[in-house]
Amino acid sequence: MSLDRVAADRGIAISSTRKHTSRWVILALQIFTFVFIVLVWEFGARLGYIDEFFFSKPTDIAALIYKWFATGFIWLHLGTTLLEAFLSFVIGTILGIIFGVALARIDLLCAVLDPYIRILNALPRVILAPIFLIWFGLGLTSKVALGISLTFFVVFFNTLQGVREVDNVILNNARMLQASDRQLMRYVYMPSAMSWILSSLHVSIGFALIGAVIGEYMGSTHGMGYLVAQAQGLFNTTGVFAGLIVTSTLVLAIDMGIIRLERYLLRWRPKH
Amino acid sequence: MPETNGSPTESAIHFQDLTVRFATPAGDIHTVVEDITLDIDDGSFVAVVGPSGCGKSTLLNVAAGLLVPPKGNVLIFNEPLQGINKHAAYLFQQDALLPWRTVLENVRLGLTFRGVGYAEATDEAEKWIARVGLAGFEDRFPYQLSGGMRKRVAIAQSWIVDPRILLMDEPFSALDIQTRQNMENELLSLWLENRKTVLFITHDLEEAIALADKVVVLSAGPAHLKGVYDVDLERPRDVIEIRMDPKFTRLYQQIWADLRDEVKRSYDESR
Repeated sequence: MSLDRVAADRGIAISSTRKHTSRWVILALQIFTFVFIVLVWEFGARLGYIDEFFFSKPTDIAALIYKWFATGFIWLHLGTTLLEAFLSFVIGTILGIIFGVALARIDLLCAVLDPYIRILNALPRVILAPIFLIWFGLGLTSKVALGISLTFFVVFFNTLQGVREVDNVILNNARMLQASDRQLMRYVYMPSAMSWILSSLHVSIGFALIGAVIGEYMGSTHGMGYLVAQAQGLFNTTGVFAGLIVTSTLVLAIDMGIIRLERYLLRWRPKH
Repeated sequence: MPETNGSPTESAIHFQDLTVRFATPAGDIHTVVEDITLDIDDGSFVAVVGPSGCGKSTLLNVAAGLLVPPKGNVLIFNEPLQGINKHAAYLFQQDALLPWRTVLENVRLGLTFRGVGYAEATDEAEKWIARVGLAGFEDRFPYQLSGGMRKRVAIAQSWIVDPRILLMDEPFSALDIQTRQNMENELLSLWLENRKTVLFITHDLEEAIALADKVVVLSAGPAHLKGVYDVDLERPRDVIEIRMDPKFTRLYQQIWADLRDEVKRSYDESR
């Protein structure tokens, strides 16, 4: 996603008077930037300006990633992390939407739970990783629990806001057309909240993966976080970088899927 | 006054000693509408005019059941109004279509909400879309339509359920003058087909006289009933040509004499 898209999603206007540079020029410059950084890094390391022990070098990292995929060694770790992240993403999102809608619609519930939600949200949830490890063991459950604790709040707050921001005129119109409470939810509240929920998914998929990787890092027998922790234990920076790159590429790929979903679900919005 | 049983015209909407107050953010009590008693006959087209911000829309929201008045009664066909007014359709000043639904889905909405089957509702919606001149636009989303087209969809959406009362809150005020006059004529021809009760809010006296059987003038806020005028102009009317009718001009002058003071008072107060 381009930075402009990020800005637009956050409701920041982009001046239409700004000169438009061609897509291809931008792409060429982006590739150039990448190549430039990689070259500086590579030759810096080869010529001794950059300490290979601390920073490794692109060719080593690429070779290691290639080896991981060629031998098939990576699949178990990648699959584990992906499954953990997927489960925490889905469960966290569903819980976030349910709680968001419930609290937005039921004032009493919102008033009672408000301080607790604030406290839980203020808590740095990564700290929960050790306690989840104690409760749920070294396996999948502790990672999913951590992931849920991270994704839930993002989706929850966005849903809450989205449901509350419903246009009063549209709501009254639907009420005049005799919509029942259930129909209001399906036809008015949910679609209205959808743009908020969808933009929260970009953030929450990242969080789901953070939950999985940190959980693995703290204690596990496989997964991307485990790989990075192992490499770090051996002062193997190449392994650490390779793990990071594979993990972030994964997030990017998933995020692209979400953008497609977003485009379909929000096709009723004017294109800018 | 409420009509007695057996009289030729039934009362569609009856406001009795209606007073509406709001608490302002500053904590003051702001009276919007005060002691209004007004009767609207079934099948009549009544326009309400008054200076801007005088509580015209409040009157409409009370009749719709969207706003519960702290004092006074509202009778709909001689029955006290409770909750949303089930006999009424509401045409809003702003865009009120569901932006995430297509034209067809929007028009079908009232029927869907009432549990009408998919096929039947779709059939009926298509008829209404054609009736308001939008055949071929069924699958567009509201943002892909012009302001006038969106208004047509809104008319189809509110009339498809065959309501006995139509509440309209300056529905055409956001349109350009030509589109507006076309829409007014279309409204009149649709209305003549089955003469439902219409309560039409506007700040435009010309529009009020051109459309209505009766013009109600409200005073500057808090709104009181300032006058009620019968408009005895022939139907069917053309909203543009009727403005040249000497009767129209006479009525306009007569009502304007009443309205002018209120508009001035409202303007002075807001300055």
